[in-house]
Order: sequence, then structure tokens, then C-alpha cells
Amino acid sequence: MKQFLLKMWSHCVRLAARWPSIASIAPFIPVVAAWWIVTELQIFPRVFLPGPVEVVRSFGSLVYTGILPAYLQDSIVRLAVGAFWGVALGIPLGILVGLNKRARTALWPLLLFFQAIGDIAWLPILVIWFGYGLTTITVVIVYTVIFPVVLNTVLGVRSIPITLHRAAQSLGASRIRMLWEVVLPGALPNIVTGLRNGLGYGWRALIATEIIVGTSGIGFLMFDARRSGSVVEILLGMIILGILWYIVDSWILAPIERATGQRWGLVTR
Amino acid sequence: MLWRLSSALWFCAPFMVLLVLWAVFIPYFDVNPRLFPHLSSVVQAGIEGVEDGTLIRHIGASLLRVAVGTVLALLIAVPLGVAMGVSPIISSFLTPLFRFFSVLAGIAWIPIATLWFGYGFGAITFVIFNAVFFIVTYNTLLGVSTIPLQVRNAAASLGAGRWAMLTEVLLPGALPNIVTGIRTGLGFAWRGLIAAEMIATNVGLGYMLFVARDFYRTEVIVLGMIVIGVLWLLLDRLVLAPIERATIERWGMVQRA
Amino acid sequence: MKDLTIRNLSKTYFDPYAGTNVTAVHDVSLKVEQGEFVCIVGPSGCGKTTILNMIAGFIPYTGGEILVGGRPVKGPGPDRGVVFQSFALFPWRTVLENVAFGPKMRGVRKVEREQIAHEYLALAKLTEAAGRYPAELSGGMQQRVGVVRALANEPDVLLMDEPFASVDAQTRMTLQEELTRIWQEKRPTVIFITHDVAEAVFLANRVVALSKGRVLDDIAVDLPRPRSWDALNDDARFKELSNRVLQLVRSA
Ligand SMILES: Nc1ncnc2c1ncn2[C@@H]1O[C@H](COP(=O)(O)OP(=O)(O)OP(=O)(O)O)[C@@H](O)[C@H]1O
Ligand SMILES: [Mg+2]
Repeated sequence: MKQFLLKMWSHCVRLAARWPSIASIAPFIPVVAAWWIVTELQIFPRVFLPGPVEVVRSFGSLVYTGILPAYLQDSIVRLAVGAFWGVALGIPLGILVGLNKRARTALWPLLLFFQAIGDIAWLPILVIWFGYGLTTITVVIVYTVIFPVVLNTVLGVRSIPITLHRAAQSLGASRIRMLWEVVLPGALPNIVTGLRNGLGYGWRALIATEIIVGTSGIGFLMFDARRSGSVVEILLGMIILGILWYIVDSWILAPIERATGQRWGLVTR
Repeated sequence: MLWRLSSALWFCAPFMVLLVLWAVFIPYFDVNPRLFPHLSSVVQAGIEGVEDGTLIRHIGASLLRVAVGTVLALLIAVPLGVAMGVSPIISSFLTPLFRFFSVLAGIAWIPIATLWFGYGFGAITFVIFNAVFFIVTYNTLLGVSTIPLQVRNAAASLGAGRWAMLTEVLLPGALPNIVTGIRTGLGFAWRGLIAAEMIATNVGLGYMLFVARDFYRTEVIVLGMIVIGVLWLLLDRLVLAPIERATIERWGMVQRA
Repeated sequence: MKDLTIRNLSKTYFDPYAGTNVTAVHDVSLKVEQGEFVCIVGPSGCGKTTILNMIAGFIPYTGGEILVGGRPVKGPGPDRGVVFQSFALFPWRTVLENVAFGPKMRGVRKVEREQIAHEYLALAKLTEAAGRYPAELSGGMQQRVGVVRALANEPDVLLMDEPFASVDAQTRMTLQEELTRIWQEKRPTVIFITHDVAEAVFLANRVVALSKGRVLDDIAVDLPRPRSWDALNDDARFKELSNRVLQLVRSA
């Protein structure tokens, strides 16, 4: 018996080592179990806290009716478009501000201030300008993503040792090539960090925007559910958001960040 | 001294330029005040808001919510994070859980918070609590579990008891992470606050903005945005960033934007 | 390879905090023949790095002139290779890609420039490390890469600012022997800056002693090549020369 248990245990350990994702799923099992028990015991009224079974059932029906896939797609596309423009504008701006002293004196204080205003606070005036629609949402997300990207790019550009610039120059690199060969790769780990932070903020901004002015998307789903008092769908929305972001952040962004920074020895961790 | 003064002036110069542009171009192009306000009417709105006390009331309400939510969260998060971080098995087991919840932090809790607590102080404070709590707990956990075992062993062999271990090794060791966590968490909380106030209350800066939108009072909206920006800038640059610098940059080598 | 002429060179820094001028280099004249190996020694703060940075074109000079092969220096360029004390390897490029960087900037095709890089890596016994990133190398290996990266670009003049100061004593001796060997093979014009008198005498054809921004004296080193520490450690002539340079520097 003991032999058998030990063998099972070693299986588990090896499985977790082979697929690290299993290790990151395991802790959720007791949490879900506790949730299930709490709802079965009716400690809170069922309308206030529905159980996992109801959530799964509502997941099934929302997928079946096609609402959930459509909303999910809307949200992801919005985030992707916003992130794209945020990066496309943010990196060049960050490099300009990082390299040029005049641009830095002029723009750095403004960047700090406009970042501090925060995306959500723009919503009311954006609604006046663009109405309830895609433009408003996109502007908010671009606005959110761009600041962490710019600020981190500036930091990255400025942290490149001057000897690297000099080395490239004395090896015959022209100014344009320096951008590509020294500035961009030197700042890359910071840029990735900025993108990661930016997407973290952008994603939250998306939810808030969809809640406040949206007509579709996961945030809208949650707020619509709130209006009709359906806690099940709110919980479902939160779980989907959590899983989605967890996947994007820890399986895509974090590995990229590690791959650039660590092998180059720029990041010690 | 002189140098600091001139760098402060250089910091303000771009804003002066922006204000001048605003004061000149908006009247020059005759922009509809329902689209963008004149500088003078924003100043006017600011003065009125201070005089009749409404602006102060909104600011006060927002700051109170942030303070209460944050303090509550910190009181629970730091001890919890330290307790969980001490054992490597527990901390590695719980890390994904707290990552998951810190990913959800803030805004995503608004719908359910308003259902559970109704519109008002409770729901908004709950959102802020959430934003700070999970991120700080996660970071504390991370901070404690990354203190090298050698350091803990060294302290133990130098005669540190449980209490000394906590106050002399675990807390200081995790402090840089805790401070980073607070700064990130407050960033999310601040945004969550504005969003929540737009939906779920009748006082506060977010509410002030959102109501002004109904009447196309852009001067109040812009005033609110400036107040939000200045408040956060003061909080972040004068309180949070210096603390973070004092710990992280002195002990480690990490820099942040 | 070309010769290098420095005439009445001077450099005055402006200190913005104190609001004063600091003259780091006074009136330095120096002629380095093609293929010569010159070491510059002198106490800390005497202006060695400043001179080297002006030759490299990293900082402008405020008086006099610098001619490489008869042409005045205006900014950095591939005719003057630089080896940095802090290595300054590109962390995002492998060793091979680091060495191939100069040829790449000249527009050499990929196959050819990798061949060039391999050739130079072999010269510094680094063939094994070609695919690794700088962070994965020891300090001594990194600096060998730094040296061959500069050489692979075939500069007219090779400028080295205390390149071996941050490696351990054992490795430093090996690097010094390797440098003399590579120099004999390729015969670049070299200006080498160091604190270490023995290092200067070991490497150079000529040692220039500097003090407070001025040239003190110029000592020819007539030791036979190839040089090795085993042979020179007990060599009377080596000791005599080292002592002379040391006296000079200490009198400064
Ligand atoms: N950027 C600068 N601004 C002002 N003064 C400078 C600057 N760089 C160097 N100096 C001054 O110029 C003088 C010469 O400096 P330099 O770096 O050339 O000395 P060095 O001989 O290389 O010293 P070391 O052996 O310590 O490297 C010093 O007095 C130094 O303080
Ligand atoms: Mg120097």
C-alpha cells in the first residue's frame, strides 16, 4: 500500500515536472472544491453565490447560443488592435525621448502627467467626442498601453552603456544602423516589460470601458448580467477573464521577457 | 540648490507651453465649449468647486475610499504573505492561485461588488481592497520565498529567534517586493476607483466626471481629469516612488519607469 | 595600417556644477609609426583616457590636431578599433556575431563575414565559444572577444584603454602573451593604456610616460620577440627597463 502511494506520488511529481501547467492548476482544485461545498451547504443564499455547477452550465449555454464566443472575440480583437497601435506609436516615441535631450525636456513631464490622468478618466470626454462605440474603446486602450511602453522604452534606451554606442560607432555603424543594432536590442528587455505592464493595464481598461460604454464584450456581458442580477454570469465572466489573462501573461509574455533578458545577462533573476 | 531649482523650472516649462497653447488656440479656432472647454472656464469651475465645497467633497470621498481600502488590505496582506512565504512548499503551491487573483484585481470585481454590497462606499472600498490585497499578498509571498535560504540559516545560527527572524530577516528581505506590490496595486486601485465611481455612487471624482458628461459640461470633466492626474502624480512621485527607490535601488539594482 | 600623429593636442573640460574649466590634457605631441606598439603609462587622472577617447573620436578636442594616415580625426570610425576596459560586447549577439559586427557594417556578405569571424576567433583560441552569448563567458574570454572584434574590422590603429585591468592576474598574463603573438601576426598600430608598468614594458616597442596632461618621457623597449613571461621574469634588461619607467612614473 505504502509502495503504491509512493509510486503515485512520484508519478505526480514527474508529471508536474514535465508539464509545469499542471502544477499551476493543482492549487485551484481545493479552492473549487471549497466553493462547491460552501454553496451546497447553502451558507450564503444561492442567488448571491452560485456554485461551480451552475457556472459551468451557464458557460455551456452561453457557448451554445454563440454569445460567449462572439463577445470573447470582440474583447480580444479590441485589445489586440489597441495593443498594436500602442506599441507602434510607443516604441518610436520612447526611442526619440530616450535619445534626444531636447525631446526629453519637452515631453518627459507631459508623459508623466498624462499617464497619471489614467485611461478611465478620459471616458466621459471621449464619449462626448466619439459617442458610444469602437473608437472610444480603441482610444482608451491605445492610451493605456502606450505609456508603460514609452516610459519603459525610454528607461531601456537610457540604460544602454555609452561604451556600447561607442563600440558600434568605432566598428563603423552609421546612425541609422545604430538604432537597429544597438538601441533597439539594448532596450528590448525593457520594451517587453513595458508591453507586459501595458497589456495588464490595457486589459483592465478594456473591461472598465466595456462595462461603462460597451455594447458587447466580456465586460459588457458581466455588466449586463449585473443588471439582470445574474451572479452566475458575472462569476463566469471573471473566471474567463482570469484564465485568459493568465494564459497570455504567463505562457506568452513572461517567457518572452525571460528569453530576451536572461540569456543576454541583462536581467539577473 | 540652484541646480534643483532650474530643473524644477524645466519640469514645469512644458506645462506652461501647453497652457498657453490651450489659452490661445481654443478661442482662436472658436471650439464649441461642449467639445472642449476654454482654459478660463476650467479655472472658473475650479474656483467655484472649491468655494461651494463640492470639489473638496468629491476629492475627500475618493481619497477616503482609497485610504480605507488600502489600509485594510495591507493589514491583512502583509502578515498573510509572510506566513505563506515562510514554507517553500506552501508558497510554491499557492503562487499560481494568488497570481490568478492579482490578475483579476480591481475593475473586474465591480459588477459583483455592486451586487453584494449595493451601490456606495462598501462596493467601491471592496474594489480597492481587492486591487491592493491580492497584488501585495502575491508580492510579499514572492519576496519572502526569494530570500536565500543561506541568509535565513545565517540569521538562525547567529541566534535569531522566531520574532527576530520575522522582523530582522523576513520583513526587510521582502520589503522591496512589498513596496513594488503596493505601488502596482495602488495604480490599479486608483483606476478601479474612478471606474467604480462612474457606475456605483453619487459622490467622488469619477462620479463628478460622469455626471458632467450628461450635461456636456466639459470644463468640469477636464477639471476632474487634471485633479485626478495631479493627485496621482503627487501620490506616486512624492510618496510611493521615493519609498521604492529607498528600498529597491539601494539594496538591489532594479530600476523602474 | 597607417601611422598616427598627434600635434599639440589639448583638452579642456567645462565643469557645469563648479562652473570652471579643467584642463585634462595640456600640450601633447606624439608620433606613432605604422605597426608600432606604444604603451602609455601614468598615474590616475593624468589624462590617458581623455587622449584615447579623442583619438577614437568619442570626444572633441579643444586644441591641436590628430592625424591618422595624414587625415584629421572627426568622430569615431572603423579606421580606429577600440578595445574597452568594460569589454562593451553586445549582450544580444553571440560571440561570432559580435566579431562579425564590423564586417557587417562594411557590407560584407554573411558567409564571408562569418568566415572572417571564425578566422579571428581561432586566432584567440575561441572557436569553441563562437555560439555562446557574452554573459556566458568568463571575463578573460570576454576580453579576448573584445580584442578580436576590434581586429576583425582590420583597423589602421588599435586603441586599448586598460583592457586587462578587470581580469585576474593569471588570465592577464596569458592575455598579454596572446596579444603580443596576435600583434606579431597582424602587425596593427597599437596604442595601449595601462597603469601596470610591467605590462607596458612587456608589450610595447615604446613606453610613453604621462603626467598631469603632459608627456614626461619616451622610452624605447628593445626586448626581443616573441616575448613570454617565463623568459622575461628573470631578464635583467626587462628589470632595468621596468625600473626606469617606474622611476619616471613615481617622480611625476
Ligand atoms: N567628462 C569630464 N568632465 C570634466 N572633467 C573630466 C571629464 N573626464 C575626465 N575629466 C578630468 O580629466 C582628468 C583626466 O581624466 P582621465 O579620465 O583622462 O584620466 P586617466 O589618466 O584615464 O585616469 P585613470 O588612470 O584613473 O583612468 C581628470 O582630472 C578628470 O577629473
Ligand atoms: Mg582612464
